Amino acid sequence: MPKSVLIVEDEPFILEALSFLLKREGLTVSAFTDGKGCVEHIQSTEPDLVILDMMLPNRSGMQILEDLRAMDAFTSLPVLMLTAKGQKKDRAAAEQAGVSLFMTKPFANKEIIHNVHRLLSK
Amino acid sequence: MPRSLLGTRIRENRRSKKISQAALAKQAGISASYLNLIEHNRRGIGGKTLLALARVLEVDPRSFTEGADQALVGRVKQAAAMAPTIACEVDKTEEFIARFHGFARLIGRQFDRAKVQDETLQAVTDQMNSDPFFSEAMHLLVSNITTIKSTVEILSDGQGIPAALRNRFLSNLLTETERLAQTATDILQHFEPSAEGDDISSDTTAAETILEKNDFFINQLEGNFISPVDYAARLNLSKADEDETVDALIKYSAITQKLPIDTFLSIAKPCNYDPIILSQKLNVSLSVVLRRLAHLPKREDIPRFGIMECDGSGAVIFRKQLPTLALPRYGSACPLWPIYRSLSQPLQPIKAFINTPTGERFLTYSLAQYADQNTVGLPSRTTAIMVFTPDYEMFLTKPEIALQPNLAVGLQCSVCPRANCEARRAKYLLQ
Repeated sequence: MPKSVLIVEDEPFILEALSFLLKREGLTVSAFTDGKGCVEHIQSTEPDLVILDMMLPNRSGMQILEDLRAMDAFTSLPVLMLTAKGQKKDRAAAEQAGVSLFMTKPFANKEIIHNVHRLLSK
Repeated sequence: MPRSLLGTRIRENRRSKKISQAALAKQAGISASYLNLIEHNRRGIGGKTLLALARVLEVDPRSFTEGADQALVGRVKQAAAMAPTIACEVDKTEEFIARFHGFARLIGRQFDRAKVQDETLQAVTDQMNSDPFFSEAMHLLVSNITTIKSTVEILSDGQGIPAALRNRFLSNLLTETERLAQTATDILQHFEPSAEGDDISSDTTAAETILEKNDFFINQLEGNFISPVDYAARLNLSKADEDETVDALIKYSAITQKLPIDTFLSIAKPCNYDPIILSQKLNVSLSVVLRRLAHLPKREDIPRFGIMECDGSGAVIFRKQLPTLALPRYGSACPLWPIYRSLSQPLQPIKAFINTPTGERFLTYSLAQYADQNTVGLPSRTTAIMVFTPDYEMFLTKPEIALQPNLAVGLQCSVCPRANCEARRAKYLLQ
């Protein structure tokens, strides 16, 4: 059964490009575009990996990550955080919150595909 | 410095002065073999011998003594701590300083500079982070670029893209490119001067704000109907702002006394608003005429003049901005501006056109003058004034315009695109 990836991203074109790339890799891809309700969506769909944008409407990626890590079911869920803010303090905060991998935008397609496979194989 | 390294220090000092061991020993009145033992830290050294060696080497004997460079030791150690990936021999810092004092001082100085630069960078970063527009615009910019980069990579590798999806990606690319252009334009506009009528700058002083609200022309002061003190008192300002405003209004009022507006305007137009000619005709100093030009009524038949005054360090002490030329408050202006050139030639007026990177052109008059009386052996402080107008075509003919020198200037280095400028001192941020 193919592994499932949830992309939480509010930029529709980035979402579209990422979805295409990961589907082409044989993964099952779903999307969510809002910070609000995101944790509940993850709870109900239980993806194998979450690609989480840091800046989202209503609830930030960082808050979502903190919520997830506070739940027993998601302490080890692979979360790849994407952000346009590559500052050290943001990276440090994400690592503190328990991110699996932190990538800055703009990313190379090959790099994100490689990282998704790496996180899914763990 | 540990006493055991005194000898090392003496040896390095001797070598730097190219004196042989034998020659130093002889001049200091000790044997060469004893000096050899001292230099290899195998013999202690008494006060008398130390003084003799210091005398011959022409150094302060205190520079050999224990603890003389503790501050430097601390700075070199901190510099090493800043680069943890380089395995510096921190335990040998004292020996290093003793042997290579010049290099150690260089490291100390570089460390000091790095600290200052780090603090400056942090301040600038904080400033940018606190600008909500800039932060949002940069986020958008990166998102635009991410979409374009990712989509172009998908299209260029061409694998597994149905025709309909390819068209979809091409459409996304077009839309995102347009958004990118719009974001870039918005950022540029954010850095450009505000439109007329807006607050020109957030770093405007209280006095400048009062004058700006009145277009730098206050009828009551022009007609001497009210004193600057009474005028400022009506504005409900804080004590500090009121004091500053009174000072500025007193200067303005003095100009109105020396050059009443009706008298000035009656002669200014026939003289093509040339401050040098006006100064001669009206028999007043050039600086008074320059300041008068900054305080003219706002009328369609009168050219607009801005003004900038700076002290000898280049710091702006008074300014009237125009919508198309924002002036810096804190010393980050372009050194090519004639006002800064005038500082090196006090009392020599400079008349020149300046062309900005955004295509605006201004006629400028600059004058530096002495701010205090000469003291024997000490040059005077200088201040400088520059007035500028974009409306030169209202009073100059095309041949007259063609005759004037043209200076290609910038606004601030970090946002100035003149790549090959010899006066550049900061990297262009937007490249």
